[in-house]
Amino acid sequence: MKKYALFLGCTTPTQVIQYELSSRWVCQKLGIELVDMDDFVCCGINQLNLNQEAGTLLAAMNLAYAEASGLDVLTLCAACTGHLVESVEKLKNQETKDKVNMKLKTLGLEYKGKARVKHISRVLYEDISTDRIKEKIKVDLSNLHVAPHYGCHSLKPESSFDGLDDPDNPKTFHQLISAAGAIPVQYETLNLCCGGKSFPVSKEVAFCLVQKKLDDLMTQNIDCLAVQCQTCYLMYCDRQKEINKQLKKKYNIPVLLYPQLLGLALGGDPKNELGLDLNTISLNRLLAKVGVNRKI
Amino acid sequence: MKHPESNRGTIRVTELDPSFKLEVLEHKEAHGLNACFACGTCTAGCPVHEVFPEYSPRKLAKMVKLGMRKDVLSNPYIWYCVTCHNCEQRCPQNVKFFSILNVLKNMAAKKGYAPAPWIEQTRQIMKTGTIFPRNEESDKKREALFLPALKSDGAKAKKLIKLTRIEKIKAQIKS
Repeated sequence: MKKYALFLGCTTPTQVIQYELSSRWVCQKLGIELVDMDDFVCCGINQLNLNQEAGTLLAAMNLAYAEASGLDVLTLCAACTGHLVESVEKLKNQETKDKVNMKLKTLGLEYKGKARVKHISRVLYEDISTDRIKEKIKVDLSNLHVAPHYGCHSLKPESSFDGLDDPDNPKTFHQLISAAGAIPVQYETLNLCCGGKSFPVSKEVAFCLVQKKLDDLMTQNIDCLAVQCQTCYLMYCDRQKEINKQLKKKYNIPVLLYPQLLGLALGGDPKNELGLDLNTISLNRLLAKVGVNRKI
Repeated sequence: MKHPESNRGTIRVTELDPSFKLEVLEHKEAHGLNACFACGTCTAGCPVHEVFPEYSPRKLAKMVKLGMRKDVLSNPYIWYCVTCHNCEQRCPQNVKFFSILNVLKNMAAKKGYAPAPWIEQTRQIMKTGTIFPRNEESDKKREALFLPALKSDGAKAKKLIKLTRIEKIKAQIKS
């Protein structure tokens, strides 16, 4: 059984609890052991805005704690993934590493560069494989049309992901959706950013970006959008409702986090194991379509 | 989206500050700037530019090279970047504009131009170790779903990042 230190990030454990719940359930089902780490803190990505060194220090601190316990890191958030893998790259420079270690010493820590960082989707794709996922499917989702949304930081910068996927023409998430038994749908704005990082500073920019994708998705014959990051989830689900209310729009695109979609296929309980009732846009129609007759 | 400030007047050579570019280039994250020949591939692929044309990586790079210190550092749009990395992914000269922009934002923050939400996040990390700390509602939801209780401890993060003096950065005062 492959063992990982679980990096929850800041947003998931308090605002998108269903992502954590379904991820833990799916990992347990597929034989991935997750270890909770008391010492993990914010990954540091947003600190880059104010002070790049602080952003890198927080990443190094987290990585050093994982290293000390001899574990690789499994992330849920795309942005945490991106920042941590980029920091690993940055810290390959001896001078940068020495500078960071001088400061980590105040916490009695040392960063050596041993821990690897993998997003949960990558762990499913590489450690488990789509073939082995397919063998475990219990519920037929073959009539579900699902639009994938990758999340920028799970693909870019390309140099930090050692050939995992092609950011301009990505395929891995499509394959994971297929492995769960559903039909991935290609669409024009596939690679468009969710705008999550501009949201705290300019709601207007963020809402424009969200609407561009939702406008495209409304013309597609899909049952839901699937995401693999809680920020992308919040932008396309909770913000979709906010946009409907504030801008008098009528978007109606259900959004699933990938472990929720896979969890459904693996026969998970929609409420207690996958937290589908916590998704702010109703999934009842989607559940009825796949024959899961449990109202949530 | 449009902004009334999109028409700046003539650039006057006497107002330019050549030392600005050199100061930016002192940061090794910004070294690629010299390789930029302003082809605009970054701007063409920028999702923010598409909905908000005033934000343009090419334009910002050019402004730094010309020495438009105040126009760059006080520019509210530098904070609009969504960090999607398209600019550097597609740059034919391998310029890391995302890293250059971070250098610019760090300089702007020191000058007091940082937006309050980012400062608040730093404060929260130093207090609780996380940007969105546990609260009564999340505790209740987690307990009902048998998820482990969350900790709230920013002591170590605070000790570490205070070494960078990040806590001295003051938020921009809105006029």
